[in-house]
Amino acid sequence: MTTLTRQDINFGQVVADILCEFLEVAIHLILYVREVYPSGIFQKRKKYNVPVQMSCHPELNQYIQDTLHCVKPLIEKNDAEKVVVVIMDKEHHPVERFVFEISQPPLLSIRESKGPLGGSDILLSHVEQLLRAFILKISVCDAILNNNPPGCSFTVLVHTRDVATRNMEKVQVIKDFPWIVADEQEVNMQEPKLIPLKTMTSDILKLWRAVILDRI
Amino acid sequence: MSRDGWMKKRATASEDNGWAERGGYMAAKVSKLDEQFKLDMPREKLKAGASSSIFSGVAIYVNGYTDPSADELRRLMMLHGGQFHVYYSRSKTTHIIANNLPNSKIKELKGEKVIKPQWITDSVQAGRLLPYLQYQLYSKQKGLLYPGMTLRQNSEIAGPSHGCLPKLHLPQRDVQPLHREPSSSSCQNKSVPFSTQPQSNQHSSAEPSVKPQPNHSASSHLIIDGTHRNSSQSHPLSAQTHTKHPLKSSQEVDFQMNGLPQTSLESTILLKTGVIKECSKESGCYDKASQAVKEATLTNGHSLNINGALKLEDWFPGEQQSSTDRDLLESRVSVSSDQPLSPPLENHTESDPYEFPHSPPKESKRSPVHKSPHGTETVNGQSNLSPSTHYEAEENGESHFIPEPLHQSELISDKTGPTPSSLRLNGSHHGVSSDLSSLTMNHKTSKPSSLTDKSSSSKTPTQLLEQTGDLISEYYSHSRLHQISTWRSGFSEYVNELHSKRKVASSDVFLGRDKLRKSKAQRLNKSQGTSASGCVKSCILHVDMDCFFVSVGIRNRPDLKGKPVAVTSNRGQVRVPVRHGANPQLELQMYQQKYSHPQQDDELHRSPSQESQEPHSNKVDHDASALSMAEIASCSYEARQAGVKNGMFFGKAKQLCPSLHAVPYDFEAYKEVALSMYEILAGYTHDIEALSCDEVLIDGSALLAEVGASPADLAKAIREDIEEKTGCCASVGMGSNILLARLATRKAKPNGQFFLKSEEVDDFIRDLPVTSLPGVGPVMGRKLAAIGVRSCGDLQQVCLSQLQKKFGPRTGQTLFRFCRGLDDRPVRYEKERKSVSAEMNYNIRFTKVDEVECFLTNLSTEVQKRLQEAGLCGRRVTLKLMVRKPGAPLEPAKYGGHGACDNLAKTVMLAQSTDSGQTIANAVIKLFHAMKVQVENLRGVGIQVQLLEGHQSTSPHCKGFQGRSIKDMFARPGTRVRSSTKETADWNQKRVSSAVAPPVGATSTSPSPVDVSVPGTSKQLSSCRKTPEHSRKCLNFSIEVPSPSQVDRSVLEALPAELREQVEQSWTNRDGRTSNCHSANQNPCPASPPRSPVTSIPVMYTPPLGTLVLQLPNEPDSPGIVLELPNFSQVDPDVFAALPKELQEELKSAYSHVTNIQPQIKTLELKNPLLQLKQPGAGVGMARVKRRYKRKNVVSPEKKGASPLKRRPTTNSPNKTLQPPLKPRGPVNSLKNENDPSTSASNTATPEPVVKAIPRPSPALAGAFELSDIKPLLREWVTTITDPMEEDILQVVKYCTELIEDKDLEKLDLIMKYMKRLMQQSLESVWSMAFDFILDNVQVVLQQSYGSTLKIS
Repeated sequence: MTTLTRQDINFGQVVADILCEFLEVAIHLILYVREVYPSGIFQKRKKYNVPVQMSCHPELNQYIQDTLHCVKPLIEKNDAEKVVVVIMDKEHHPVERFVFEISQPPLLSIRESKGPLGGSDILLSHVEQLLRAFILKISVCDAILNNNPPGCSFTVLVHTRDVATRNMEKVQVIKDFPWIVADEQEVNMQEPKLIPLKTMTSDILKLWRAVILDRI
Repeated sequence: MSRDGWMKKRATASEDNGWAERGGYMAAKVSKLDEQFKLDMPREKLKAGASSSIFSGVAIYVNGYTDPSADELRRLMMLHGGQFHVYYSRSKTTHIIANNLPNSKIKELKGEKVIKPQWITDSVQAGRLLPYLQYQLYSKQKGLLYPGMTLRQNSEIAGPSHGCLPKLHLPQRDVQPLHREPSSSSCQNKSVPFSTQPQSNQHSSAEPSVKPQPNHSASSHLIIDGTHRNSSQSHPLSAQTHTKHPLKSSQEVDFQMNGLPQTSLESTILLKTGVIKECSKESGCYDKASQAVKEATLTNGHSLNINGALKLEDWFPGEQQSSTDRDLLESRVSVSSDQPLSPPLENHTESDPYEFPHSPPKESKRSPVHKSPHGTETVNGQSNLSPSTHYEAEENGESHFIPEPLHQSELISDKTGPTPSSLRLNGSHHGVSSDLSSLTMNHKTSKPSSLTDKSSSSKTPTQLLEQTGDLISEYYSHSRLHQISTWRSGFSEYVNELHSKRKVASSDVFLGRDKLRKSKAQRLNKSQGTSASGCVKSCILHVDMDCFFVSVGIRNRPDLKGKPVAVTSNRGQVRVPVRHGANPQLELQMYQQKYSHPQQDDELHRSPSQESQEPHSNKVDHDASALSMAEIASCSYEARQAGVKNGMFFGKAKQLCPSLHAVPYDFEAYKEVALSMYEILAGYTHDIEALSCDEVLIDGSALLAEVGASPADLAKAIREDIEEKTGCCASVGMGSNILLARLATRKAKPNGQFFLKSEEVDDFIRDLPVTSLPGVGPVMGRKLAAIGVRSCGDLQQVCLSQLQKKFGPRTGQTLFRFCRGLDDRPVRYEKERKSVSAEMNYNIRFTKVDEVECFLTNLSTEVQKRLQEAGLCGRRVTLKLMVRKPGAPLEPAKYGGHGACDNLAKTVMLAQSTDSGQTIANAVIKLFHAMKVQVENLRGVGIQVQLLEGHQSTSPHCKGFQGRSIKDMFARPGTRVRSSTKETADWNQKRVSSAVAPPVGATSTSPSPVDVSVPGTSKQLSSCRKTPEHSRKCLNFSIEVPSPSQVDRSVLEALPAELREQVEQSWTNRDGRTSNCHSANQNPCPASPPRSPVTSIPVMYTPPLGTLVLQLPNEPDSPGIVLELPNFSQVDPDVFAALPKELQEELKSAYSHVTNIQPQIKTLELKNPLLQLKQPGAGVGMARVKRRYKRKNVVSPEKKGASPLKRRPTTNSPNKTLQPPLKPRGPVNSLKNENDPSTSASNTATPEPVVKAIPRPSPALAGAFELSDIKPLLREWVTTITDPMEEDILQVVKYCTELIEDKDLEKLDLIMKYMKRLMQQSLESVWSMAFDFILDNVQVVLQQSYGSTLKIS
């Protein structure tokens, strides 16, 4: 759908890198904030100049990394519409969904004259600020959310655009880490309520996220 | 017993550790012994019957066999209130009693008071506590600290001529080893003469607060010092007599000196022989002295005593001879207290140490005068005054000194019997000596004599400290070049003062300027000609006196004019004897190596600067070792032609140019000439930057513009003035910047002027060698040569990045600019100090770490003084050391010089800024230890403080007499009263003189109108003083000054009158240049609304500087103005409404006009990033307008008039406002607000038509898209309206939908919540319903797009 010029491919990668990095941080933080895992496995780190919590459980980390590794090519190609972190209760009913909706500007809003990253924010410092704000929002979101029932698990869903799924099946980024189509049950919530948390817009990407919580 | 204690002491060299380790046993034992002692005491007292308390506070420890036995001493101490320690305790024991001590113990106990037992018995006999000094077992075993220094000081004072210095010094240096020897080993063996006790450590332990430094106060050292002084006292005289056959005499002296330190007896004999026969009286005194020596079991310390007394006596006859001398000296006492560092001003022909006597007789007359103070100094300098108190004391004048001489007399009266009057004189002498050394403090504290009794000696700081302090003070007081270098700051002060005065008086007189103007006028009248170069935009003049020292030196000696002349301290001799230990050849080799080594690396040619080094390094023949090493400070052009260069050694120069005349320094004259030069220049302008005493930069731009003269005229006038008034000629270089001016000066020299026109710059600079650029020294020159750059033209070929890579970003850029003749440094009359430092690289010879530490402490004090004078604190402290190059000869060829050295530096950041010498000293000492330098190899030490902060702007009055005002510096008034009156007179005079002057605005360059109208004016104004001049120059008023319409009237009115005038003036200036439309704007037509509404606009909408967009086009007729039309949304509707009908019509047509020429506008507007920021305000205003004009009671702020005007800059063009008139009409119509043209215009553009087209506009509600703007809008809507219109509600829904589409759920959430609060709180149930309606709609849309609804709780 979008035609990225050759020159911009790198740029797409940059965006994907940034986003995946952010998603990794965000997922860790969500897992911590929503108490999906005991807080003991989390360590305090610094990212975007704010403290974040990061799990130090190797398998969990690996899972998150692998997931994002697979998401990255999608983002690069602008095929990913949303990345959703779903928190499910024991019965695998989603309780909360953290939706990261990604939309890149159609032409990445690159100004021809100013080079790939635009003249205004070459160092992406503005993006970093936005991401920081994002992270901070996540870390305080438990204030507006109900407590989760015990025994929750989580999963990461990716909403792709168009035929991207087919490509994904063809080219497995990581062996033995295939994507499966999500259960309807996992995706849909009954009477979901939406709590918008933060939207960010920058030259290179538009990202917003909503917490949708189930009210059963 | 005592032995045991001694051992223990030794075992516990590091204080208490050992005691503790013994499990407190020793402590218990000691306390038990103490108890026994106390118990025994009454018994003993009963037995003896007589008791006293003379020894209260004295605690003795008896070491070894003593004449009255230890037990007897113990008894005595019991009887007379003292303490007796069986075990030595460093902290408690005050005195050690011993008859004899082995050498090792002496070393251990160095600094302790080791006293002979006779002290106790004698004291008991005398019935009072006698000063223990005379009973010291041995005096300090330390060698002479800085023999060279002390000798130098003396000899200099005696006859301050460099010419004969080497001769004097030669033998004295040889003395040094001899001094050291007895101190280390022979001292013990020959313990008979050295039988008194050193004291200082003991007292320092008793009073630790005095000085923390480990003190090795060297009484023996002092003694030697004293004898030295004697010798040197006699010495100069003899040296003078020997000047004709220098070699022989020096040998003779050498011999004598060698003999000197052996014993005091010998020394006095020597003195007798050495002393010139003419002083028969003196010799008589010496007889007495020698008798005294024989009488008492005299020690060296004692002999010093006598020597001191001798000197008193010494002086005495002299004083009787000339009472005028005394007056003179007395007056100088007060002089000296004023300004420790600045050169003395009053030129007493006889006594000024800076004057170089030409005639030997004069010298010999003076020498006794000078010698004696130093002799007495050793006696007098007992007062341990902290610097501050010292100054206070100095202010008190002589009276302060009286107690000490008296006290001294008590000691020596029986021997020499000086009368009280002479003692008093001593006090004044002391002052004199402090004058001589400028740094009075150091002198004062410098020589505590060993004759002081206990009370006074306890006051004394460590002698070492003093010694080093003395060294520093000597250095700074005698380093003439140092003095001269301090003048620069003095002149800078002077210029500052001129400026501050102008501020005070707000007017001034420029004599020179008036003169120039007159002459200009005359010339104009005569020739009616046009001055071609009349107005030069920027002109910097660089005034430089031609070989300043020389021309001043020979201005009264016309016979020397036109001849090769060099100013040097050498007095004509080409050759001086080689000193022992010096190896000039090796040194020269090392210099050569230093300069040739990099070239080997580079394999390239030498830069000119290196070649300049060649003469003194290369062609040195064998004899050259004996050539005079006196450096040439300045040489005339004739001499330069012969190859003589500044800085060359005189001996070498004389070889090059046999007819070279040596002229001595004449510091008074330099000062005089320099001052008059500055005065002349100040008569022209105050935009002066003092570069040095003979070099000045002038920013002539303002002056030339005012007078209308050409730079050449000005230069000519200045040069004529200077030549006329000073008799010296100056060269003036002119250019458009500092660099060019300086370069031009080179061409102008000698005695010429040169204006480097900007069009000639390129050609001119291309051929210049790079080393002629400022900042390009030999090192950089070599580096550049390495990359094949020799001329500026070459340098121009090098790209900036390469330069920056090689030399660092700043230097690289500077080079890059300089080689193109670009220079943006402004002429600053006020220089910010970057660092404060004190450095010394002359006569640095240390033997012990402690000495270095003390020296560093003293140097830190010097830095502290300078910091305080400058009113600054610094954070970064750098210690710079010059360390003898490995392999370099121990003694450099130049006497006291540093020879070949490696430069090391280490820096530390302090926790906070400080000006405390102690803090600095601590830091520096740490640094020193960290650098691990061999103390013996130190040749130079410097302390630099950077990262300065603090205010310098204290008025000269506050600064008192610290040399802040140049008048002080030069006038150095004799008395305090005089100085103050002089100063006030000065001020008065200046104030009077400044009464008649052009207004500030005309002359001032600094507060340019540019800054005025910018918000935050005050700040800018204060900073604009330092605004680089070039930027001031480059600023185009038309760009920087906002148009009047953009200036808030109230702000403008709040400005001072002059500033306001300037702003207004700048507007009128601009009128001339800018287009009609501007002027139309500046002179609003009467029909237009009053100013107030206009000016209200900038409050909500402040365009960035530089935009010339009109806020309110009052006269829209002209096509030109159309371009300047603001966006319609920015038009205050109130204003618009207030306009007459016709105008409104015109405006409307103008706006429709805009459509056609929209592209240009677009570009124009795009440059205005601030535009969107303030738009919401306009939006609100629009809502109001709607309300007003609709004549409907329903206000609909929620109109979706998301006018493109309010969108991002990309869409921000009137085009979109007006172009889609038809399509948007629909919604607008439904809103029924099209009846007003303005609102229709603004409302026409609903998002729909545009949205799909160009990048997505952010949704807006009635033009507002920021939450902070939408909220008040909503509130207004809800609170003012009781019955919400359906359309309005729909608008809101629509807006929300847009937000959803825009995925701006965050904002949507907030808005929904806000509305919920608002509407549900509203009394009208209608509103609740309205909210529900909105919410439902929103949720539906959300459900559609996100599959979920918003959580509204």
